[in-house]
Amino acid sequence: MKSAPLRVPLSDSEIEVSIRGLSVSYQTSTGLYDAIHDLSLAIHRGSITAIIGESGSGKSTLAMAMLNSVTFPGKIRTGAIDYADVGDITGLNAESLRRFRGEHAAMVFQASQDTLNPLKRVGAQLLDMARSHGLRDRKAILREGSLLAERMSLPASRVMAAYQHELSGGMRQRVSMIFALALKPRVVLLDEPTTALDVLSQSHVLQIVRAIHEERHLTTLLITHDMGVVAELSDRVVVMYAGRIMEDAPSRDLLRAPRHPYAKALIRAIPRLTGPLDRAQALPGAPLELRQIPVVGCVFRDRCTLRQSICDEVTPTLREVAPDHRTACHLEVEA
Amino acid sequence: MAFLKVFVRKAIGGLVMIFVVASFTFFLIRLMPGNPVTTKLNALLATGTPYPIALSKVSVMYGFVPNQPVWQQYLTYLGELAHFNLGESISYTGVSVTHIILSAAPWTIIMVLTGVIVSFVLGVLAGVIAAVWRNSWIGQSSTFLATFLHGIPQFMLALVLAYVFTTVWRVFPFGAPYNAAIQPGWTPAFIGSLAKHAVLPVAAYAISGYGGWALTMRSSVTSVLGDEFILAAELRGLTRGMRLRYIARNAFLPLFTTLTLSLGFMFGGSVFIESIFDYPGLGNLLTTSIGAEDYPLMQGAFLLITTAVIVANLLADLLYTAIDPRIRRA
Ligand SMILES: Nc1ncnc2c1ncn2[C@@H]1O[C@H](COP(=O)(O)OP(=O)(O)OP(=O)(O)O)[C@@H](O)[C@H]1O
Ligand SMILES: [Mg+2]
Repeated sequence: MKSAPLRVPLSDSEIEVSIRGLSVSYQTSTGLYDAIHDLSLAIHRGSITAIIGESGSGKSTLAMAMLNSVTFPGKIRTGAIDYADVGDITGLNAESLRRFRGEHAAMVFQASQDTLNPLKRVGAQLLDMARSHGLRDRKAILREGSLLAERMSLPASRVMAAYQHELSGGMRQRVSMIFALALKPRVVLLDEPTTALDVLSQSHVLQIVRAIHEERHLTTLLITHDMGVVAELSDRVVVMYAGRIMEDAPSRDLLRAPRHPYAKALIRAIPRLTGPLDRAQALPGAPLELRQIPVVGCVFRDRCTLRQSICDEVTPTLREVAPDHRTACHLEVEA
Repeated sequence: MAFLKVFVRKAIGGLVMIFVVASFTFFLIRLMPGNPVTTKLNALLATGTPYPIALSKVSVMYGFVPNQPVWQQYLTYLGELAHFNLGESISYTGVSVTHIILSAAPWTIIMVLTGVIVSFVLGVLAGVIAAVWRNSWIGQSSTFLATFLHGIPQFMLALVLAYVFTTVWRVFPFGAPYNAAIQPGWTPAFIGSLAKHAVLPVAAYAISGYGGWALTMRSSVTSVLGDEFILAAELRGLTRGMRLRYIARNAFLPLFTTLTLSLGFMFGGSVFIESIFDYPGLGNLLTTSIGAEDYPLMQGAFLLITTAVIVANLLADLLYTAIDPRIRRA
C-alpha cells in the first residue's frame, strides 16, 4: 500500500451523492420506528464506498432509500438525497424516478436470486429494459449484456437465451449484476452482491466490478460483511449501527485505526484470513431491534465498555477526529 | 420432439381414462339396486307387453340383449361406443342418444362459452385492479363487488335476473331459446332473437363466475406483487405497462388450469340457469333424463362430461407446458 496522500477538503463538485438528514421509518404493530435516523453522508465521485455494520443496522434500507424505493411499511420520513446533475430524488415525479432507476443509478439487491421474470429469457428482459428506457439501438443492450457476461466468466450466449430456473444461484447473482450495469449508470449500489458465490468466483467477480468501476468512472456503494473485500476494494468505509453512522473514514485509516468503540469491536469480531483465528472476538450483546433504539444518547452505549454518563444524556454527533475521518462518539478514543 | 412424445403419452393416458369411465358407467348401471334394465323390462311386462317384444324393445333401448351374459353385453356396448352409438333414449322413444346430445350441446356451448369468457376477462381485470390498487377505494370496491357476487348462489342470481328483467322491467324475453314465431335460419331476425334470448342466461352465468375469477386473480396478483422480480423490475426502471404485463402473465398461470377445466365442465351445462330460463342445453337434458330415469341418455351425458373434462385436462397440461418454461422437461 502507498502511504496516505495528503487530504484536502472536498469541494461540492467532487460529491456524486449527498444524503442530508435522512430518516426512513417502518410502520410496525407497535408504532412507527426509524430504521435510518437523521443520517447525512457525502459519497465521493468515483469512489467505492463500503458500508459495514451488523445485521439490522439499516444498510439495505439505506440502499433502497437511495433509489427512493422504500416501500410500505417503510417510508422516507424526512431528508433529501441529492444526486449530481439530478437533484433531490425524493422529490422526483414517478416518470423521472423511473427513468432515473437503471439509467442513472442501479442496484443489485441483497440475496438477488430471483430478480428475473421466470417466464422470459434473460435477453428478452434486457430488451424490455432497453425499451423502457427508450434506447434507440435496442440490440446494443444485448451486446453489452453479452460482453459483461463474458467478463464475469459466464457463457454469454447460453445465459442470454436462458430462463432464470436454468441458472445457478451464483449465475443469477452475476446476471443481476449485468442488469445493473447494462444501461451504464453513474452510480451503482451493490448490496452483498456475491453471497451466493464461492470464494474464488467471489473475488473474481469483485475484481471485475472494480475494473468496470474504474473504466466507467462509476461511483459505487458496496454493502458487505467481508472485511477482506472492504480492504481490497473500497476507498471509504461507513460503519453503521442502529440506523446511524458511527464512523466514516478512508478504508485504510478505518481498518488500521478505527476510533469508535463499535467500529473497533466490529473489526475485531471479524476473523481475517491472514490473522490468527483466536484474535477474533465476538461482539458482546445483540444488535438493537428498531423499537429498542434509544431516542436520546448514544445508541451503542448498552454494549459499550467505555460507557459514561454523558453517553446516556447527550446524543453524539459525527465530528471530525482526523482529516476526512468522522466518528460519533463523545470520548476521545485513541486510534 | 420431446413435446410430441409427451403429447402422445398424455393422449394415450386420456383414452385409457375415458375407457375406464365408460366401463365404470356400464357396470354401475347394471349393479345398481333395481337394475334399470330389468326394471324397464318388468314395467313393459306389467303393461301387458308380451315377453319377446318387451325384451327386444329393451335391447334396442340399451343397445344390448338383457339376457346375454354380462361380458357379452359389455363387448357389444364397447363396440357400439366405438361407433359413437350410445343407444336410444327411453323418454324420447326411438331417438338416438347421440342425436339428442348433439342437438342440446350447441345451446350449452354458446351460453357457457360466452359466459366463461366474459366472466373470465372481466374477473381477471377486476382482480388485477383489486390487487394493484388494494389500498385505494377503487381496489377495495372491486374486491367488495367480487366478494358479494361470489357469495350469491347461481340459482338465486338467475331468479333475480329473470324477475327483474323479464317481469318488473320487460327488456328481455323470458324462457325459450328464441322466438318461436320466427323461422329458424341464418336470417338477421332469427339471430337477433337468439341473441336477445341468450343475454340473460349468459349474464347469469358470467356474473356467477365473475366473483370467483376476480378473487382468485386478486390473491394471485397479490402474491406475485410480493415477488422479488417485481421489485427488481421496478428498480430497473421498467415502464408501468411492462411491469403490469410481467405481473399479469405470472399471476395468470394458476388460473389457467382452472379456466381450461371449467371449459371442460361446460358440457355439464348449468342445471339451474338452463332450467330457470328454459334453455334446451345439456344441463336441462341431464335433469330431464334423471327425472325420466332415462338411463341411456344419462349414461351418454355423463360420458360426454367426463370425456370433455379429460380432454380439457389434457389440453391444460399441454398449453401449460407452452406458457410456463419451468414445466418444460425433456
Ligand atoms: N419491512 C419491514 N418492516 C419492519 N421493519 C423492517 C422492515 N424491513 C427492515 N426492517 C427493520 O429495519 C432495520 C434495518 O433493516 P435492514 O434490512 O436495512 O438491515 P441490514 O443492515 O441490511 O441487515 P443485513 O445485514 O441483515 O442485511 C432492522 O431492524 C429491520 O428489522
Ligand atoms: Mg441488508
